[in-house]
Amino acid sequence: MKQHLNKIIFAVAIISTPIFSFGQYCNNFHSSYCYTSDNEMFKLNGQSKSALFSKGQTSELSIVVYKGQDYRISLCMDQNLGSQVEFKIYETVKKKVEKVIETKSMENEYKKCTACNGKGDNDGEMCYDCEGAGKVETGGEVEVVSKETKLVEERVKELLYDNSADNYATEIEFSVESTRRLTIEISVPGSGSGGTGSKTKLIKSGEMGCVGILVEHMTTPITGFYGTGF
Amino acid sequence: MKKQSKLALALLISFPLVMFTSCGGNDDVEKMEEVVEAPVEEQQGNETYYQIPSPDEMFGFIKESGLAFNGELLNPIQNADKYVTPNRQALNFGIYSADLAYTASFEEFDKTIKYFGTIQKLADQIGISSAFDKALLERIQGSLDNVDSLVSVTNSSYFSVVEYLEKNEQGDKLGIIAVAGWIETVYVVANSANYKKDKAAIERLADQKLTLENLLDYLGKYSDNADVSQLLTSLRELEATYATLSEESSGSGISLKKKENGKMVLGGGSSIKITEDQFNAIKAKVSEIRNNIVNTEA
Repeated sequence: MKQHLNKIIFAVAIISTPIFSFGQYCNNFHSSYCYTSDNEMFKLNGQSKSALFSKGQTSELSIVVYKGQDYRISLCMDQNLGSQVEFKIYETVKKKVEKVIETKSMENEYKKCTACNGKGDNDGEMCYDCEGAGKVETGGEVEVVSKETKLVEERVKELLYDNSADNYATEIEFSVESTRRLTIEISVPGSGSGGTGSKTKLIKSGEMGCVGILVEHMTTPITGFYGTGF
Repeated sequence: MKKQSKLALALLISFPLVMFTSCGGNDDVEKMEEVVEAPVEEQQGNETYYQIPSPDEMFGFIKESGLAFNGELLNPIQNADKYVTPNRQALNFGIYSADLAYTASFEEFDKTIKYFGTIQKLADQIGISSAFDKALLERIQGSLDNVDSLVSVTNSSYFSVVEYLEKNEQGDKLGIIAVAGWIETVYVVANSANYKKDKAAIERLADQKLTLENLLDYLGKYSDNADVSQLLTSLRELEATYATLSEESSGSGISLKKKENGKMVLGGGSSIKITEDQFNAIKAKVSEIRNNIVNTEA
């Protein structure tokens, strides 16, 4: 029996090896399936990305868009994921904000020993180094919560575009007037796994598919009579 | 014995699932839909991916902004043989990739061919030569008389490496290569631009503060890797230099709106300002990091 099992494991491992590597095909999905711009001035931008999504999943892509350039961001996805994949663009900025940070720790428990003055007895327990009113260890521990106000760096997102308010458009083209760090958030509708929680989940294969984000860029064309003397 | 049975069963169950993850075409999706429901390892969580602009985007821009080519800023190809550890080879693969993009953008064809040969050699040493297939090499040879197509082909080689490393789940190596490429790009721009004359290039250099944030977030995922950790230390020093740059508000909030001409424009918000002293500090720090990478005596 053991020999048979070894053979099965070996055979399946051999058969599946090339398929495992082929399984990474999503990596370049955007190059093969997203439509490029008709405008030949647009060039493929290295910040394009593809990934495997399950229904109900949301993922983000952080990119930088530069002043003086036009960008075209387009989306393509496997048909089984539906035609209403949500595509939002946020600006992401790091801001320093004051935050109250609570820390909990266990400390020795004390009780008051008001009767002593300097060194002395209080109900039979020693009370050290107290001047008139002091405290003495009970031998137990208590939870102590300390609060501290700290300046921390937080990432703040501001919504700039939501394709659900634009008839689920799968592409957007814009000029950039000042360099920005943008977050592109992709949400695949459905009641799939959602993404958080346990590492292993029950996912139907038909509930997964590739999503590609194609980013293209070009220098913003100068329009009008610039430099002509008019 | 029991363990082996489970393994065999898991492999048999996962076989059709793995086939599906290829995402190769929609016809297959229909066929597979009803077939399988089995535990699979989560393929992608709700995570954030941090992307790094490729060197050509910056070089294309600075060429248009009027900066001249300076061949002395390139890492000489003779140095390539002197990088013997895998980490230094990966770092300098990134440096040479940026140099390749620089020479291609400025139509330095002879240099482009030489630098392509060098990165091909280094690719072999760091185990990513499969990223350069025969068709790509033939395209390079066939593009020698056409700037646009040469730039396009050198970009293809860069994207091909990115794709190869992503496919093979070598995000740490990709991070090292991309960061080194970015460092070389910033080094070339900082050492080519004149603060008083080259306004557009200086602004672009200041804006790298945001790209650096993305790089740090990307590399942070692989900080357990000793080589990445070492690189992160250098980048954090550069981050501290960039942190002195101030932001100036435009007076209106950021927006992505349609203008009168029908064009969508991302405008408003704040912009990053850089003084001459800050420019010199960034130039000195980035040169220090870059020279440590290309140093052949390390």
